[in-house]
Amino acid sequence: MIVKEGKYTIERFAEENSLTRQSAINLLSKLKKQELVTISGGGKQKRIYTIHHLPKKKTNGFYDVVNKYSPEKLQPRFEHYVNGTYTVEHAIIDGVRIGDTRTLEATKYLFKHVTNWKRLFNLARKEKIEKQVITLYKKARETIKCKRIPERYIK
Amino acid sequence: MINTRDQEELFKLIADYLEEDIECVAIGGTAMMFQGYKTTTKDIDLVFKNGKERAIFIKAIEKLGYTQKSLKFIYDEKRLKNKNKPLLYSRGDERFDLFAKDVFGFEIETEKFVQRNDFIGKKELIISTLSKEYLILLKAITNREKDYEDIENIVKIEKNIDWNSIIDAAIQKRKQITWILHDLEETMQKLKKIIFIKKEHFDKIYAAEEKQK
Repeated sequence: MIVKEGKYTIERFAEENSLTRQSAINLLSKLKKQELVTISGGGKQKRIYTIHHLPKKKTNGFYDVVNKYSPEKLQPRFEHYVNGTYTVEHAIIDGVRIGDTRTLEATKYLFKHVTNWKRLFNLARKEKIEKQVITLYKKARETIKCKRIPERYIK
Repeated sequence: MINTRDQEELFKLIADYLEEDIECVAIGGTAMMFQGYKTTTKDIDLVFKNGKERAIFIKAIEKLGYTQKSLKFIYDEKRLKNKNKPLLYSRGDERFDLFAKDVFGFEIETEKFVQRNDFIGKKELIISTLSKEYLILLKAITNREKDYEDIENIVKIEKNIDWNSIIDAAIQKRKQITWILHDLEETMQKLKKIIFIKKEHFDKIYAAEEKQK
């Protein structure tokens, strides 16, 4: 059965493919297992099913972390998948490396959630962007209520 | 042969054996697997920023039992003579084709990636993948046994391929790789049997070839 790409509600999907509601649910469930469908909504919100022509894994990288914590949301420039532990500190470094104004604005909200300053500055040192991280932190402190950085990292 | 899941597990394992964090770009079958165009590949093609990062990666895979193999019978004569040829490492069915800085003289623009996969173990291995247009062009350049089949796979799945950008990239690199336009045209001629490619794209290649002469 060929299913067209796009966004559907369950009713639209059933109608488009001449299926009963239950058959449509079954088919979408099958497609979901093949990673060809992503679902948004649920609960009070109506579910919207997005069908892709290629298997799509759920991203779990920089943009997911930023969009979780920052009130300024970002449209991903690239798909970012992480195998391993990706922390807020990693995300700050990636944000500074991407470097455009909008990304920096969104990234500064992450300082509120830093738990391991040592990790942050080790990563910054490795990428040689310590100065930029401190500048962004100072900017964040001016506008957002965030934790105080240990003095030794600013010197 | 290696499948998507095994490939991810392998990269995760390699990340644990690295001595430094490194970044590279996946091309060929590996990139196709990351983007979902296929589920298995014979070889894992990676392009590193420089020889130093490639050496770090090689050190890690040698610890895992991969050994260097000859390039003979895999690449044709003109590619074997190229000074930017890859290093080949294999272990059983799995094979790494490791390029440094460029692919047979075709420099990779690392900032133009569309997907990033981070493998965070004891160290970090960051693998980026390029757009489908780049994948097609690089497949046309490497031109190994299964490369044409892979290109066919991509064009069958993707309806909106920007041929202009592929040709422009090839024209830009024609000084470094003299055969690039010829190989691309040959591939496009073969593809014409399965998809429609506008005549103006071929004309653009012929005009560039004329100019080169």
